[in-house]
Amino acid sequence: MKADKEYNYIGKSIANVNALPKATGSAEYTSDMKLPGMLYGKVKRSPYPHARIISIDTSKAERLPGVKVVIVGDEKTCPGRFGAGIADEYVLARDKVLYVGDPVAAVAAESEEIAQQAVDLIEVEYEELPAVFDGEEAFKKNPPVILHEDLKNYKTLRSVPPRLDEKRPNVFNYFRIRHGNVEDGFREADLVFENRFETAMIHHVQMEPHCGVAMVDDTGRLIVWGTSSKPYGMHRDICEAHGLPPSAVRVIIPKHVGGSFGGREPKAEQIAAALVLAQKGNPKRPVKVWWTREEHLSTTTTRAHYIVDIKTGVKKDGTIVANEMRLILVGGAYAGTGYLTARNAAFGPAANYKIPNFNLDAYGVYTNQRMAGAYRGFGNAEALWGMESQMDIVAEALNMDPWEFRLKNCTDEGDLNAFGERMHSVGAKECLRAVAELIEWGKKPESKKPHLKRGKGIALGNKYSIIPTASAAIIKVHPDGLVELRTSTVEIGQGSSTIFAQMIAEEFKIPVEKVRVLNPDTDITPFDLGTASSRSTFNMGNAIIMACQDAKRQLFELAAKKLEASPDDLDTADSRVFVKGSPDRSIHIRDLFIPMVIGGYTLEEGAEILGKATYYLPGVMPDPETGQSERPASFYMFVAQAAEVEVDIETGKIRIVKIATANDCGKAINPMLVEGQQEGGVLSNGIGSALLEQVITDNGVMLNPQFADYKIPTTLDCPNLSDYRSAILETAHREGPWGAKGVGEGTMVCTAPAIANAIYDAIGIRFHEIPITPEKVLMALKKKRNAQ
Amino acid sequence: METLTLTINGEKVESLIEPNMTLQEFLHDTLGMTGTKKGCGSGLCGCCTVLVDGMAVKSCLILAMQVRGRNIRTIEGLAQGEKLDPVQEAFIENAAIQCGFCSPGMIMASKALLEESPNPSEEDVRMALSGNLCRCTGYHKIVKAVLSASEKYRQAQA
Repeated sequence: MKADKEYNYIGKSIANVNALPKATGSAEYTSDMKLPGMLYGKVKRSPYPHARIISIDTSKAERLPGVKVVIVGDEKTCPGRFGAGIADEYVLARDKVLYVGDPVAAVAAESEEIAQQAVDLIEVEYEELPAVFDGEEAFKKNPPVILHEDLKNYKTLRSVPPRLDEKRPNVFNYFRIRHGNVEDGFREADLVFENRFETAMIHHVQMEPHCGVAMVDDTGRLIVWGTSSKPYGMHRDICEAHGLPPSAVRVIIPKHVGGSFGGREPKAEQIAAALVLAQKGNPKRPVKVWWTREEHLSTTTTRAHYIVDIKTGVKKDGTIVANEMRLILVGGAYAGTGYLTARNAAFGPAANYKIPNFNLDAYGVYTNQRMAGAYRGFGNAEALWGMESQMDIVAEALNMDPWEFRLKNCTDEGDLNAFGERMHSVGAKECLRAVAELIEWGKKPESKKPHLKRGKGIALGNKYSIIPTASAAIIKVHPDGLVELRTSTVEIGQGSSTIFAQMIAEEFKIPVEKVRVLNPDTDITPFDLGTASSRSTFNMGNAIIMACQDAKRQLFELAAKKLEASPDDLDTADSRVFVKGSPDRSIHIRDLFIPMVIGGYTLEEGAEILGKATYYLPGVMPDPETGQSERPASFYMFVAQAAEVEVDIETGKIRIVKIATANDCGKAINPMLVEGQQEGGVLSNGIGSALLEQVITDNGVMLNPQFADYKIPTTLDCPNLSDYRSAILETAHREGPWGAKGVGEGTMVCTAPAIANAIYDAIGIRFHEIPITPEKVLMALKKKRNAQ
Repeated sequence: METLTLTINGEKVESLIEPNMTLQEFLHDTLGMTGTKKGCGSGLCGCCTVLVDGMAVKSCLILAMQVRGRNIRTIEGLAQGEKLDPVQEAFIENAAIQCGFCSPGMIMASKALLEESPNPSEEDVRMALSGNLCRCTGYHKIVKAVLSASEKYRQAQA
């Protein structure tokens, strides 16, 4: 690996290339779009968590002036089911509604107001059915309610198929690990601990609510814009839902999307498409569907309520010899990306520590709630909430320092994890050491006043990245030397466009300003699995390097003739191609093209300089019975976090005094943007999930669907600048571009346990559920006092 | 329909509008000024913050007719030609912008603070921005950017 000073752009903290339009207000998001003749769509939603649809009367809505089209869930408008891994959902409910908010009808009208009035005029008659919200109830072999009676006949994804459980009819995915022999392990253990931990249902709270705009072009082809983070996933879902062949649909994601954090399931886009396709005659008018904030918070994908049971066996010397876990993702009425979350939540616990005997059973369960799916961390923050709270319980019983206990047991390069995979690029120890320094671990915090109790806590985490995985990139070299990247990675604010521009600038030795990154468009930009799993830097980064090399090879072959040199002896910089070692023998890229009469440039052959490449990593599918695999993930990002908290025992209020994070990202292509990921993960999603956020429901109805009641951290909930500390560690990955892995999801996978462990240190109370709200603290303090 | 006359970013604007239209809708939907974002429509997220006679106001909570004759400043009017305002510069340089949906409102709220108190403490900045939500940044680089912008203002005046 070369030192940073040898690079022009790699490892440099340059400003985000998309920041200027965002700072001046000119950046256009899907929700800003306005097409000529555009109509506005609104949705009629189920008020019941589970009911049979007896009849829908749309006649009054249809008669309202300004209404163009009204649709219901029937064979015509909703011919097919779709879903990330299990096709279990129609665009509009057919026959039955399965959660409060399930769309049953939709309207497109001249204005949002008219569309809403029309929605209110739709009359739906239901027969209410019993509903199930409790994950354990739904999980039972004889559950009170079966949501999808025909589940086993649903179409499923071939590449990573969900595994159903014949005995448990609401289970939509089951994943298991059997590593070593846990019975022997627990026999060998001196101490065994069994605990349950849970996390509340929370929401991503992207600042731009989900939005879709659809139209048909003059050939009748469907074009859909949206806020999705997976353009090709959205493309597949639309084709399946509407029974269209892939070539009949074009998906475009605008250059700017207002955040993702995993929760961009494309339902608004689907309904916009349905409202266009259902219009009679020609031309059909474009339709925009944009959820209100309340719809966004109360009906769209959440991070699931998770139930984590963990049993751990240790030797007196602090060696973990056995670990057994059961994870239940209390899912929604439709599986969505939750089908994969349910499985992949296993990865964090499997890779954190070297444990010779390890069993894990992970389930995703349907309940009568809205979909629960991907959320930054993809189940791992929830599973590690359990594991990392458990590790402190164990360390205390052993009278060991929790930091030393983790250092002793964490995985390291070459260790076997619970998949039986030999680990590579493991920054666990480095992260633990760095974070201990940042939080001054050895220094006992001082409580300033008798009612303000201070404590410190630490936690270790990791986040894998998905396998099988593929990213494709196309590089076009323009005659003026500008290099264009065609990628389907979505710029959700994480800075992908900037780091891709840095990679290309490095490869072509040009300024970043001479690189252009196109927004995803399935007509133009090639396949990518999606902007998820912290996979873009690694996967798209590798594809970009390979595509740059392909483009440069074409450039050098052209220039070789003009420079009378071998292509192998050529290099490029500043939009010129030159002979290595003789920079005076050079030619500008422009002069490789032939200027033509009337205008434009041409090449003698080959049309354009177009480099292309696919980075594909198939991995090894885990054995269905044991979960064992040599390569179940692309890479692992390690992280250690620590917090110092102050608990006010009179009010129950918890203040984060200091918080620290150390993240191993392989290589920071842009350290300033890596910091941005760390800060957002820890301070917003991390602190929010640990202390503030919770979707509160009554009979399936969300009671707090506004920012006044669903609290995300504000400037006042985050510690001051000097009290937030971070470190970037670079444990290079042999397959990563410049050694890079990723960062985004690893930033919050152990924030909640670090905070909870600090709270325990401060007041001696172990919380088993997040969020840890002042009410819970006061109640626990009272309980403790009464017990004494 | 009623006639609305007001000044937006230094220019007189006259328009015939429905009296129940909010200022945010007028700016964004009628005038096509995409910078004034709607994040919640109930005054709780701050994405639509604009300046009314120099004061930070959530434009989704106020009817356009209520600001008849007033001076409105939006994110589009902050830069002087190509020259960015120091707050905009500081937000870009400090990577205080990620997804960017909150940025216009955040920048306008910061601008209002710095106009009123050019030398704020970190606590002042946190207090002034506490009604503006951001999910990407944890506010860390935003607070840093505002403090750095205040430095820029002071340097410009020195």
